[in-house]
Amino acid sequence: MVSSSDKTIQSGARRAALKNGLRVGALVGATGGVGLTASGRASAEVTPDPLITEVQDWNRFMGDGVDANPYGKPSVHESDAVRRTVSWLTAENKSSINFTPLHKLDGIITPNGLCFERHHGGVATIAPADHRLMINGLVDTPLVFTMEDLERFPRENHVYFLECAANSGMEWRGAQLNGCQFTHGMVHNVMYTGVRLKHLLAEAGVSPRGKWLLPEGADPSHMTRSIPMEKAMDDCMVVFKMNGEALRPEQGYPLRLVVPGWEGNMWVKWLRRLEVGDQPWHHREETSKYTDLLADGTARRFTWTMDVKSIITSPSPQAPILHGRGRTVVSGLAWSGHGTVNRVDVSTDGGRNWNTARLDGPSLSKSLHRFYYEFDWDGSELFLQSRAIDEQRQVQPTKDALRAARGMNSIYHNNGIQTWHIRPDGSAENVEVS
Amino acid sequence: MKSRLDGFYVRRPVRLSLTLLSVMLMGSGQVVAEGDVSSGRALFPQCAACHAVGEGAGHLFGPMLNGVTQRAAASAEGYRYSDGMKKAVDAGLAWDDATLDAYLQSPMSYVPGTKMAFAGIADESQRQDMIAFLKQIAVDGTGAVAADATADVVATPLAQEEPRPLARDTVVPEHGVLHLGRQALPEEVVAWDIDIRPDGLGLPAGSGSVEAGVDIYDTQCAVCHGVFGEGEGRWPVLAGGFDSLTDERPEKTIGSYWPYLSTVFDYVRRAMPFGNARSLSDDDVYSLTAYLLYLNDQVDEEFTLSADNFSSIEMPNVDNFIDDDRMEEPQYAAIVEPCMQDCLEGEAAVTQRARILDVTPDGGGDEDAGGSID
Ligand code: HEC
Ligand code: HEC
Repeated sequence: MVSSSDKTIQSGARRAALKNGLRVGALVGATGGVGLTASGRASAEVTPDPLITEVQDWNRFMGDGVDANPYGKPSVHESDAVRRTVSWLTAENKSSINFTPLHKLDGIITPNGLCFERHHGGVATIAPADHRLMINGLVDTPLVFTMEDLERFPRENHVYFLECAANSGMEWRGAQLNGCQFTHGMVHNVMYTGVRLKHLLAEAGVSPRGKWLLPEGADPSHMTRSIPMEKAMDDCMVVFKMNGEALRPEQGYPLRLVVPGWEGNMWVKWLRRLEVGDQPWHHREETSKYTDLLADGTARRFTWTMDVKSIITSPSPQAPILHGRGRTVVSGLAWSGHGTVNRVDVSTDGGRNWNTARLDGPSLSKSLHRFYYEFDWDGSELFLQSRAIDEQRQVQPTKDALRAARGMNSIYHNNGIQTWHIRPDGSAENVEVS
Repeated sequence: MKSRLDGFYVRRPVRLSLTLLSVMLMGSGQVVAEGDVSSGRALFPQCAACHAVGEGAGHLFGPMLNGVTQRAAASAEGYRYSDGMKKAVDAGLAWDDATLDAYLQSPMSYVPGTKMAFAGIADESQRQDMIAFLKQIAVDGTGAVAADATADVVATPLAQEEPRPLARDTVVPEHGVLHLGRQALPEEVVAWDIDIRPDGLGLPAGSGSVEAGVDIYDTQCAVCHGVFGEGEGRWPVLAGGFDSLTDERPEKTIGSYWPYLSTVFDYVRRAMPFGNARSLSDDDVYSLTAYLLYLNDQVDEEFTLSADNFSSIEMPNVDNFIDDDRMEEPQYAAIVEPCMQDCLEGEAAVTQRARILDVTPDGGGDEDAGGSID
């Protein structure tokens, strides 16, 4: 059996060989850089690069004109920047999950087509003209809105991360999946356009006894969760746009709920109803699921907030270091459901010593943050870790600290520090260290 | 703002064909003798949980249906049919208009033992539409998607629009702050408000017995959840697992884990059977809830569940849920500056590697390893 990391490395090396070696001649690094080649040998001798000295096809022959793709697509060279699933996780694909390719992305915004999917009854297909949102329960006037009605409320734009509570849930017992796409890919970060829930609720008039809200989806799972009224009135939104365009069907088109900083299951897609009540409902997704079993057999419920977390996206098992020693960029993501991220530290020696990384790009509350740590790699083995600290000064814990507090069967809310073992050949592997 | 072009060219024709469709489906004497392909296509989403059609379609829980009427019954390559289906084929079952009609009307009574856990299409004209749709899907999948999907839309000329009402004549409702939306009618609230709470709020009138539950469960649930609720393959386990919550591999079931009975009623009514949600009557759901209690050793076989005795049932694990106290865990409780230098003794050594437990997709590895996402 060829393990996937071997495959990654082989194909990585093949790609490196193609780029640096084959076109130039016998395994010679281009532009004076040191290329790691299939043989693992490096050479510094430089010969003229035919990519420069010869006229290439794309220099001469014209490609597509405008409108070849009325809705543009990524370059054909990016065909591996795709969501991927793990087929054995679920019995079939209608109630299932796939993962965002974090190792292929940079910045903080997740492109719409790469946002991971989690459905409980397939993707509902709904014409916006046929969609309705009802508010009922403990309200003065039960109401029905069309999409056109909703667009007449004051609109707001906010960037928020959505993380599934089960993100990294496979890793409770130890290192399992080789790639940050699979260990951490149940997260995405999108700019939403929509309306604050408090405006919609004010329109119906919430009774003073109304302490809880039940959102419900229009898909065959009729997804429901109980949300405390305080949160609903604070920053929750119903949204119709993501990153400027209409929601994607798999993200709840035409309408979804946004519950900033809280677990993704609560962000009900295909939202059709909001019921106001005086008690929580204790439905399936907040009893059977999304409760966190502890070692003593008790279970936590209503564990809504996603705690402070970070992950190095490159290098990582799917994105090995191909350039050899020398200047190296470590890139990663950090987020917290409690607000902004204040700082991220990076360790190259498995947590013995830490260096503060550089946060770059906008630092928004309950949004992904991008960090970089640049250093000169001497080519020796590394144990790369990142540790985020949020605005409440909560520090991302180690996995062992979480296991000591919760045991092995909590499934949800694993925000432990991840370790990538970088080997002398630049390949990376998911490990845990002493 | 929504563009006008969208409004007129796209939405209106779709609405039109929907109205047409519902007129036909309501059987107002206009029922077409031959099934209508596009109406059948519009009905296919209820099959899509289990069947794929179209270019490159593969098997799901049910076999791929491209060219299904052009092949022998139960002959899709690489698909494992039930023994019930194989028996029916041995007895001479072949797909034609009549046999498909009977199968789609009530799969489980027409082919006893079939694993197509689907209640059936009651309406005859809907079945004809579905059959017409299936018949014109070629082996390569053409016909699954409407070829003229866009042509239709563009063809309607703007001239056919009625004159639009004047903005100043619009009636603005009284309610609320911004006077948006309209009052929900009681019938509408009743149609959608199906949620049940632990205190019984929301329970419909009705009742159901363990005995009645057996039949419904065996025909509509057991294919996935197993005859005893033990779960077939990777489908969810519904019964057992008592006293396992502190085990290395706990089994969280209705009996061993769920705190409230209302959750069973609510969930089965809103989401099951998988692929045919909202098809059960309230009495069916009472019966199934009673039967799931029985499978979990909570009641005997004589038991009947109703709105009256519902809240007398207490689930064994109800007291074992606590509120979120994560912030009191040692790693969060004390706010301290994290260590920056010489934080741990000695050099880092690998204690666990993914390569040992390598269950990464595309790894060509062991597909059955690993856990679940829940
Ligand atoms: C809950 C899942 C499920 C749903 C929903 C479902 N089917 Fe099936 N269907 C199956 C399974 C499983 C089989 C295989 C039967 C067997 O082996 O007993 C099957 C078999 C069939 C067959 C026979 C296939 C062959 O190769 O001979 C046809 C035709 C069919 N289904 C049509 C439909 C249509 C049309 C719908 C929607 C109206 C539908 N099914 C809905 C699960 C389903
Ligand atoms: C085609 C397969 C299938 C059939 C038939 C089916 N189910 Fe399910 N059932 C599922 C799947 C898949 C889930 C999990 C769905 C999810 O997590 O989104 C589920 C979940 C459940 C759960 C919750 C399990 C848990 O641990 O949270 C209950 C209860 C349940 N089903 C009851 C029923 C009953 C009662 C019937 C019959 C009326 C039925 N199911 C028919 C596939 C099926």
